[in-house]
Amino acid sequence: MREVLPEAGIKQFRIPVVPAGVWILLAALLGQVALFSVIAQNFLSASNFVEVLRFSVELGLLAVALTPVIITGGIDLSVGSMMGLAAVVFGAAWRDWNLPVPAAACVALLSGIAGGGLNAFLISKLQLPPLIVTLGSFWMFRGIAEGITHAAVNYTDFPKSFLALGQGYLANVIPAQVPVFFLIFAAYVVLLHRSTVGRSWYAIGSNAAGARYAGIPVSRRLGLAYLLSGLTSSIAAIIYVAHLGQARSDAGTGYELDAITAVVLGGTSIFGGRGNLWGTLLGLFALSILQNGLHLAALPSELSGVLTGILLVSVISLEQWLPRRGIHRLDQPEEVQVKNSQVAVLCAAVLVSALIVAGTNVWLVRSVGRSPEEKTAPATATAHRPVIAVMPKAKGDPYFVSARAGAEDAARELGVDLIWDGPTNLEAAKQNELIENWITRRVDAIAVAVENKAGISTVLRKARDRGIHVLTWDADAEPDAREFFANQATSEAIANTLTDEAARLLGGKGDFAIITGALTAANQNEWIAFIKRRLDKYPNLKLATIRPSDDDRDKAFAETQTILKAYPAVKLIMAISAPAVPGSGEAVRQAGRKDVNVIGLSLPSICKPYVHDGTVQTVVLWSTHDLGYLTVYGSAMLVENKIPTAAKSIQAGRLGKLEVRDGEIILGPPLIINKANIDQFDF
Amino acid sequence: MTYIRTHREEVSIAAALIVLAGVLAIAAPGYFARENLSDLLLGNVPVLVIALGMTLVIIAGQIDISVGSNFAICSVAAGVLVKAGLPLPAAVLGTCVIGGGLGAINGALVGYLGIPSIVVTLASMVALRDALRWQTQGAWVQDLPINFQWFGFSQSSYPTVVILTTTFLMVFFAWGMRKLAAGRAVYATGSNPEGARLAGIDTSLVVFCVFLVAGLLTGFAAVLNSVRFNQIPSNGGLGLEMKVIAGVVVGGAAITGGVGTVAGSVLGVVLLGAIGPALTFLGVSAYWERAIQGGIILAAVINYARSAAGSRH
Repeated sequence: MREVLPEAGIKQFRIPVVPAGVWILLAALLGQVALFSVIAQNFLSASNFVEVLRFSVELGLLAVALTPVIITGGIDLSVGSMMGLAAVVFGAAWRDWNLPVPAAACVALLSGIAGGGLNAFLISKLQLPPLIVTLGSFWMFRGIAEGITHAAVNYTDFPKSFLALGQGYLANVIPAQVPVFFLIFAAYVVLLHRSTVGRSWYAIGSNAAGARYAGIPVSRRLGLAYLLSGLTSSIAAIIYVAHLGQARSDAGTGYELDAITAVVLGGTSIFGGRGNLWGTLLGLFALSILQNGLHLAALPSELSGVLTGILLVSVISLEQWLPRRGIHRLDQPEEVQVKNSQVAVLCAAVLVSALIVAGTNVWLVRSVGRSPEEKTAPATATAHRPVIAVMPKAKGDPYFVSARAGAEDAARELGVDLIWDGPTNLEAAKQNELIENWITRRVDAIAVAVENKAGISTVLRKARDRGIHVLTWDADAEPDAREFFANQATSEAIANTLTDEAARLLGGKGDFAIITGALTAANQNEWIAFIKRRLDKYPNLKLATIRPSDDDRDKAFAETQTILKAYPAVKLIMAISAPAVPGSGEAVRQAGRKDVNVIGLSLPSICKPYVHDGTVQTVVLWSTHDLGYLTVYGSAMLVENKIPTAAKSIQAGRLGKLEVRDGEIILGPPLIINKANIDQFDF
Repeated sequence: MTYIRTHREEVSIAAALIVLAGVLAIAAPGYFARENLSDLLLGNVPVLVIALGMTLVIIAGQIDISVGSNFAICSVAAGVLVKAGLPLPAAVLGTCVIGGGLGAINGALVGYLGIPSIVVTLASMVALRDALRWQTQGAWVQDLPINFQWFGFSQSSYPTVVILTTTFLMVFFAWGMRKLAAGRAVYATGSNPEGARLAGIDTSLVVFCVFLVAGLLTGFAAVLNSVRFNQIPSNGGLGLEMKVIAGVVVGGAAITGGVGTVAGSVLGVVLLGAIGPALTFLGVSAYWERAIQGGIILAAVINYARSAAGSRH
């Protein structure tokens, strides 16, 4: 009797070790690996696998921490912002309070506990809905991080021994942070799957009231999950800082959504009560391998978002429709009644995804088919055409979009293969990831518009060690990390030109306001610093306020409207982000304020209407076409070893002779574009 | 008194608005200039219109975080349709259909396949945004016909048109949610799906429809926003979903479903929309703005939790 009865009782509540969803995901993962081994270069190699692991660690930690939270039926949207806050606290503790690294790390962990504790208190003690609480703390943590650093402070120059945690190798093979990840992963496995705490998380997620009646301290256990999530996010922040070599308030932006995607992909039910950490691990790899494979196959980064969405929906819907073995829940009938309409919807969904996949394939085949055709074009083509990989800071930015046209011109003229890819938003870690992938793919030259100087230099040095030529453009890395920098204009020249223009238009006297990009944008912050320095020359010119536009035209528009009324003395708006100039221009035009000037840094094409009607007086820029052209031309010359190290000038195709100074190829002074000459520019 | 007791959320936001207005009246009276209020209104109308749809979605116990991406696609679509030579009304209709279609896909996956809405709309948020980036390669829609801006109205008459349309939508939804069977079905589905099903409500259809409506309104909001300009960027609506959801939640809708009002959401959106520029007027540094807004959301939620706990006793 003793053997039979409890056995039967336990079996009812047993959660299968490998739920159906995990099998589907495993199949999808294997499918991905098979596909990418065929279409991507050097995908199936140990070194590539190791690099994928390295880039998965921070995201993986967040996903692991989120798994128990979601199993309790909750959610934590604040993990990415918590990373930003902990990174900044770590940097401040180390540099401003002069604490040694281990002590600073402890302070950062304490901030994680405090943040997680705040969520825990509001959710478990006050019983507020987790989605709302963490939506609030999502804004608040990032806001505090931006507040303390004024979004501009970037803590760098951490000691080498600390950076080894994020950039070094153990035994020359394993990235140093990977064991840390698996240690924490193992701890979570024990906690979630092998302890009473873990069982109570499942119980709370299945039925919180039932769990309370069963004697589980629901509020305490619930709080623990959020507390641990804050703590783990701060660990992820420390690894992120070591990995990129910088601590800035934008660390981990957007990570919360990727982490939730990984968890849900791994079969954890968003309603709680079901899921496991092994699934999360698989979901994480499915995401990382998808991105890695797309990079190695030189497919555009945008595809990864589209495919991630399709993968997520199809895995979850398949999982919904496969019978779940081993779980008998009271609220589910034994037989699932399938309605015809439901089958129709499922078929439609599958059909739509199939169409999208087919469309992608057509595009793929076309892109594969195009290269051999181009190969035959230059008569002198040898067996190996040089491959030049060029990275903008952000792909969708009109500024970089227009540089691409020039880059393509040069590639066509020289008969080289061009890979043009970059982050789809300003995410510092994505640039490093892409370069690692290009190293694995063994391109001949890499040209980068650098988003974060300290972090990217390490990986660029690695590329140079592997014999890949490295050039920087638009913004520079550390000088020893690249061979040349294609310099369009120095930050100081840009800032001075803008300030001088402002002084000229205002007659040397008056108030002006700056509309910047994101508050954290490194380039813009550097310009602002130089602008403030230049103001010493104009004592009667006063900077009234600095407002962010987040590179969004509509936000720039709204901010300008407010400035015009809140600061009536402001007679000039200086917009230093490409979409902000037309936004500010439109605001001034609609307000009918003829007495307010707008100047800025933008593309002639999008400012043309405003320059013509006199709302925008001056746009400062350089020819983005020429910059793209020079980048590819210079890279190709490097590949063919045509630039001697002591060169004073180079002959850059249609651009003619360009000066080379201190490892920088100078494009020329910035252009001052106004009503008289704007129609000459086609970018 | 009964009104205050039954409309605790709306009353407390209205009180917060009055306090804010009082502070501004003393510290920065320029805030109440007619042009400023009109600009604020026009700027927040898109958020307001989407918030109407989001209120339905949240009351039905679901969430839609793909509205920002949908908004970006509809903005570009409006421009492309007009450039293709469609007359303005047809282009507006076409844009709403595209928005509604994208909403319907979400609705079908949530309502008929039973996939959690946060998962579905997370997937469509990422997929739609990146698909648009891929398609446009970041290019803006330019050279729009001259009558696109302001719908062919003048700059001075356009606000009146928008205010009338939006007021009509607000009144219609507020009335419909209280008086129409469809509106009550949304509340029933949100507060107890199984009970609603047993009472004869087709809950799958209700869920499908709230996403459809949210999509339609997103398309319409994209049009209302686009016609204020003469070119259309391809990255519109970044972070819009957070703004809308925050407004609705501050307005007292419960994320667990079944609770919330259109009036509350409108007040919530107005409060959050008024605070951003108010901080500029008060001279608060932009660097602290986000922290303050997060704090307000938390404060609002804590307030409701306390009042809910109070009413239980």
